[in-house]
Amino acid sequence: MAEEVLVIGGGAAGIQAALDLADTGLKVHVVEKKPSIGGRMAQLDKTFPTNDCALCILAPKMAECSRHPNITLHTYSEVQEVTGSLGNFSVRVLKRPRFVNEDACTGCGDCFRKCPAKVPDEFDMSLRMREAIHMYFLQAVPAVATIDPERCLYLTKGRCGICAKICQAGAVNYDQQSQEITLDVGAIVVAVGFDPFDPAVLKQYGYGKYRNVITSMEYERLISASGPTGGHLLRLSDREPVKRLGFLQCVGSRSLQHHRFCSSVCCMYASKEAILANEHDPEVRSTIYYTDLRAAGKGFQEYTSRAERDYNVTYVRSRVAEIVQDEDENPVICFEDLVAGKPGRDTVDLAVLAVSLAPRRGAQELASVLGVELDDDNFIKTEPFSPLDTTRPGVFACGYCRGPADIPESVAQASGAAARAAEVIMGAAV
Amino acid sequence: MASAEEEEIKTFRDLQNEVILAGLCGKCGGCVSFCSADQLHALEMGEDELPRYTDEEKCLTCGICYMICPVTQDLDAEVQSRFGWEPPIGAHEAIASARAKDDQVRRVATDGGVVTALLMYLLDKHLIDAAIVSRRGSAFSREPMIATTREDLITAAGSHFAGSSHLEELGDRYTTYSPTMSAVRSLQSQYLRHVAMVGTPCQIRTVRKMQTLGILPAHLISYTIGLFCMENFSFDALAREKLEGKLHIDFEDIDKLNIKDDVIISLADGTTIRVPFEDVDDVARPACLACTDFSNEYADLSAGGLGSPDGYTTILMRTEKGSQLYSEALRQGYIEQAEFADPADLASEKTKMMAKVFAFARRKRERGEARLRDALSV
Repeated sequence: MAEEVLVIGGGAAGIQAALDLADTGLKVHVVEKKPSIGGRMAQLDKTFPTNDCALCILAPKMAECSRHPNITLHTYSEVQEVTGSLGNFSVRVLKRPRFVNEDACTGCGDCFRKCPAKVPDEFDMSLRMREAIHMYFLQAVPAVATIDPERCLYLTKGRCGICAKICQAGAVNYDQQSQEITLDVGAIVVAVGFDPFDPAVLKQYGYGKYRNVITSMEYERLISASGPTGGHLLRLSDREPVKRLGFLQCVGSRSLQHHRFCSSVCCMYASKEAILANEHDPEVRSTIYYTDLRAAGKGFQEYTSRAERDYNVTYVRSRVAEIVQDEDENPVICFEDLVAGKPGRDTVDLAVLAVSLAPRRGAQELASVLGVELDDDNFIKTEPFSPLDTTRPGVFACGYCRGPADIPESVAQASGAAARAAEVIMGAAV
Repeated sequence: MASAEEEEIKTFRDLQNEVILAGLCGKCGGCVSFCSADQLHALEMGEDELPRYTDEEKCLTCGICYMICPVTQDLDAEVQSRFGWEPPIGAHEAIASARAKDDQVRRVATDGGVVTALLMYLLDKHLIDAAIVSRRGSAFSREPMIATTREDLITAAGSHFAGSSHLEELGDRYTTYSPTMSAVRSLQSQYLRHVAMVGTPCQIRTVRKMQTLGILPAHLISYTIGLFCMENFSFDALAREKLEGKLHIDFEDIDKLNIKDDVIISLADGTTIRVPFEDVDDVARPACLACTDFSNEYADLSAGGLGSPDGYTTILMRTEKGSQLYSEALRQGYIEQAEFADPADLASEKTKMMAKVFAFARRKRERGEARLRDALSV
């Protein structure tokens, strides 16, 4: 019996599961695909319904994870193969090369201040350029640099080498190779989260064509103090301050063509995003074009009422037919007001598509590696009375990858999944 | 990290030997622009406008200046494939003759003012935050400038209202040799995200090389407008003397210089002298004579007076972006095309324009290749 546990995914849920397990005395391995743990929550500005700063809550937990004597972080790594069974899994993990020695890098940032190669920043939803050598984000854990091998001039052309030449710690290593490690674990917790829906396929909304139509994830970066505009809510076309906002709900959700499910968080996050805009600038008016206002959660209904009462937010039960653009690049939202029963047109400064959150694009590949079943929507399959157990004994799931859930619920599930994992290891050990 | 590979990196030392000392440096400023933008501060433009070490100790021997120099052959294949270059004059989708609709622009323009009008359109529509152009410093020099408003553009275009002597350098008022690239390096600090650059073939080629590598500061440049360029002149005392002797004129009498089929010199008394290019070669900057690109082969759009009637600009649309820019500016009334009653006349005009561009391109290519051969055989 291996007294170690694997957590796949280092987001809000994975971090919680790892901390809970580690506190029981079990050794925990966290495998995270990205160069840093933190996940989607790290990209959010604030959380509903309390408007707490997302990173202020998350960063201490990320730090705790990296400091915890029982936790080993394997970032920039992916699970390749899982063999064995409950109590005795053998997991092959591929560690991709960062071309930076993790132990030597001090995270000082000298390298990316001089790196000449510019790349769209994935963390900032490509609203900003970063360098080929970069920190995934400012508060990344581990706080070490990573080189993008496709854009690095040394790795592609054999030229430059500036980062290696200026690194005082001698941490840059262009010869680093990918590494394979094998972990022997008794249980596995899967917490790989979601990918936002790409609304470019919904041609009627003009995403990708109109510069002032953006997604909710882009909005989170735009309004974040650590984002590309330093937290100023500016239109992408002319960088004028936004005064009129329109939020389109159910973009890609509750749709027979795309995702049938309700993503469960969009009504609330749109309300939050509208409130935040008004907090930044009391002149901002927002309209939320919703299908059904779903505010089922502790304090949620009150939150939406407060939005209407105190933050200049109007909820319109409607269906948006299309977005067009006037000659000043203002999005014009064309909708049917379902209460009044008549069509309407609103001109806004910025339209935000509340895109559905869906299982990761690689969900099926991961499921086959893990040997677990997915449901019809590609969420990890679980049963009502064992909601955290996957179809493979010893493998548990929590967070958005097992079904739509907000942050508190994902974290609660993570604690539950951690308890289940500890239970099977300790139970089997007895 | 001293590996064998690194030893072979060609650096600014090699640029000095192969390009600058060989007299082939076109003074585009690309190397300095990169080195400064990346805050390496090893290079600067000297008083002779040639790049030089500020402090060789600061050089990290990254070799990027060598790669992006328009004279070196590094990256040629990649740049060609990325920008769809094909012989003999690069990619081109269409040709047109047009002029700015705005009277004010037309008044200050060398030809039809299309370049200024296109930049105005881009600024008005927030497609760019700034345009890098050049304005006249004194009668015989130009300096780069970052234009962020219509008024800036008029200033850049309209400098000949300011002084008494209006000597035009080549082709268009934007024509360098203003080391336009040096303006690019200051962009980063100004929070500019999208920039259009107007430049000579060597400058645009440097930008394209930078973009192929994905390096700063060229990542900010989203539109490139290239000028037709036979050569730029260097009017030092010796050159002036030569020109005065050859043409039997007093340099001070020159009111305006324009380039179309030949060099057109307008004198203060209203007379016009047309001089074949061959006759002014010896006042041309030597590096220009070794350059083989007349029509600005890698730009989104190329522009110049050649082939158009007086008061019009010839526009060669090269990339999809360039074609779109032209057609939108036309549709939205920033520019207008020459009218032809009979469509057949328009077609034949276009054929004639194209033929002229081809002829000039060939002439410059042959001249450049011959000069390069000479340079190598010495």
